[in-house]
Amino acid sequence: MKKLLLWGLFFVGLLWALASFGGLATNGKYDSIAIDFREDLTAGQIESQIKSIDSQYNLSLKFNSEFSQRDHVYVLKGDAALLAVLRKSELGKLTESIEPNYIYAIPPLADAPEQSANLVGQLPEKSGQSPISKLTPNDPLYARQWNLRDLNIETAWEKTKGEGVIVAVIDTGVSQVDDLKGTKFVKGYDFVNDRENAADDNGHGTHVAGTIAQTTNNGFGVAGIAYEAKIMPLKVLSSFGGGTVADIAEAIRFAADNGADVINMSLGGGGESSLMKESIDYAYQKGVVIIAAAGNSNSNSAGYPARYPRAIGVSATAPNGNKAFYSNYGAGVDIAAPGGETRGENGENPDGGILQNTINPKTGESIFMPFQGTSMASPHVAGVAALIKASGVKQPEAVLNILKQSSRKVKDDGLNYFGAGHLDAAAATNLAVGQLGWQDFFRWLRDNGYLNPRFWLDGGAVALIPKILMVLGSYLIALLMRRFSPFRWNWSFNNGLVMGSAGLFAFRGLYIFDLPQWPFRALGSSLPELGSFASGTSALNPIFASVLVPIALVLLFTGHRDWKWFAIGSTIGVAACLAVSAATSTEVMWLGEGFAAQAFLGVNALLCISIAHLSLKTEANRV
Amino acid sequence: MSIKIEGKIKSALFGMGAWSLEAKNGEVYEIHQPAPSELLHDGLQVEVTGTIRDDVMSIAMIGPVLAVEHFSIVKL
Repeated sequence: MKKLLLWGLFFVGLLWALASFGGLATNGKYDSIAIDFREDLTAGQIESQIKSIDSQYNLSLKFNSEFSQRDHVYVLKGDAALLAVLRKSELGKLTESIEPNYIYAIPPLADAPEQSANLVGQLPEKSGQSPISKLTPNDPLYARQWNLRDLNIETAWEKTKGEGVIVAVIDTGVSQVDDLKGTKFVKGYDFVNDRENAADDNGHGTHVAGTIAQTTNNGFGVAGIAYEAKIMPLKVLSSFGGGTVADIAEAIRFAADNGADVINMSLGGGGESSLMKESIDYAYQKGVVIIAAAGNSNSNSAGYPARYPRAIGVSATAPNGNKAFYSNYGAGVDIAAPGGETRGENGENPDGGILQNTINPKTGESIFMPFQGTSMASPHVAGVAALIKASGVKQPEAVLNILKQSSRKVKDDGLNYFGAGHLDAAAATNLAVGQLGWQDFFRWLRDNGYLNPRFWLDGGAVALIPKILMVLGSYLIALLMRRFSPFRWNWSFNNGLVMGSAGLFAFRGLYIFDLPQWPFRALGSSLPELGSFASGTSALNPIFASVLVPIALVLLFTGHRDWKWFAIGSTIGVAACLAVSAATSTEVMWLGEGFAAQAFLGVNALLCISIAHLSLKTEANRV
Repeated sequence: MSIKIEGKIKSALFGMGAWSLEAKNGEVYEIHQPAPSELLHDGLQVEVTGTIRDDVMSIAMIGPVLAVEHFSIVKL
């Protein structure tokens, strides 16, 4: 009876979880409908359809934007009732989609009067609306950070915000202004005045640090790129913004010796210096990614230090994506990032600059200022490098490869204005997660508590070796399958591998006084073991230890961006679990532990592999 | 080694601002700071004697850094 009750509770929980999974965009509001006509229709056919809708429903269709005509996208006023009618009508056959045109809102800038007042230069009010996602930060001035949207930063934040990475800012120092109060700092140094406090007396370094890791989602000011990363402030430039090669070289070594993962140098000039080159090589050997501004003299080839082979040289782009008028180009430019232009054709244009919080050097007070320069472009790359490092890719060469491969290529860039192309944070983090090798997988297992040496020693409650074989096996199968149907490795997929093969098996050995142990067994069960956790036996339930659960998961989650990878990963995980169970003659309920059980587990393992293979092939075709 | 350059002083909008000397041959130098305040006026035609500081880097990155030794105003 007790067993029945537990089973009942388990299925109620499962059904509740499935029922409450609302899909992706079911909660939005809309008062208009977007119609996307098929690409193969002629302009005449579309026009006649539009006229017929106009007359039938007394509504008028409009282009959604200046780009809509090419894409055949129209919008019209309407609600859920009209949406249902349109979908059922003849129109359905002539369109690719008829969808609610969800309304998104940006927090109004009027909510932050005290910050607007702090702005140097008059920033014109924005009137348009931009789409927001759940990762759109609530910083009121984010709406003016065209540069962050240019990087697709919000999509990148779905993967990482740079936690655990240290970025050294070698500059005029960094002051903890209001919008850096929530940002983590590590010990830095002031090489100009030889003291530990590396506060800024110029305003440049604080601005640069803001682009990298401005406190974000604090309802105040602006956002930064890798806002969970830590800043190491290193002051090498005086209040006038100049400094010696010797101090800078020393700061690079300091950063490398004190755990920096990324170094940003928004500075340049001077001649070749073997001292500086050696420092850069030293930091590089220690795994530090070094990023430097290409220079602002609109000349052919980047200046020092950007032109050193181990430094990543960054050129600057204007809001329209062209090379900024001042940016250096040519040799030494590896990649391009937003640097802004605060001086347009019609005079001052503060809206075209990069807006961050910094200090007013005359008064020391906190202000929001738009700057321009390759100085501003460089920290964009440093921020994204921090995101890549936080994704698990550590070697500087690999980070540079990812930055380059993921950049948006520019055709006909004969003078190398843009290096590999425009920086893209979303593509970079995606690629970073997809390029992880087995070392990264095991580091991830360890970091997430799946592998814990303490449980290894205290592993009496679970047969540890088969569990490890299951995780390893699932990983090897996945690796093998990737040769046939290439896909991007991702964390959902990893979670699937672990949950399908071994589960959070450490939980199985956990007992707490006066508490029932079955919840821990449930938590510690892999998918095939879920059918028997309640009974407390190690015999597998053939309903769960079969291809049925993977089929259900794949069918359920096939349309979901992340969960489909969990489903495929867990299918491979289950295959590994069943194969290892077959090899170790694990008992199966009602079948015993003989040949029948082994054959059952083996056949189901093969079926799981087929399902995973089919799913991956479908995914590959979709791409 | 000192060099003599004739050109025009201009302000440059990088960071909190920097000053450049645009030589007649088109070469742009960054004026190393601190520099005499009488020199730093937009549009001033000057003749500057100074040295190129190869050991200095800056946030402005607009050209070789020129440490001013003396200057004379050619035209206001």
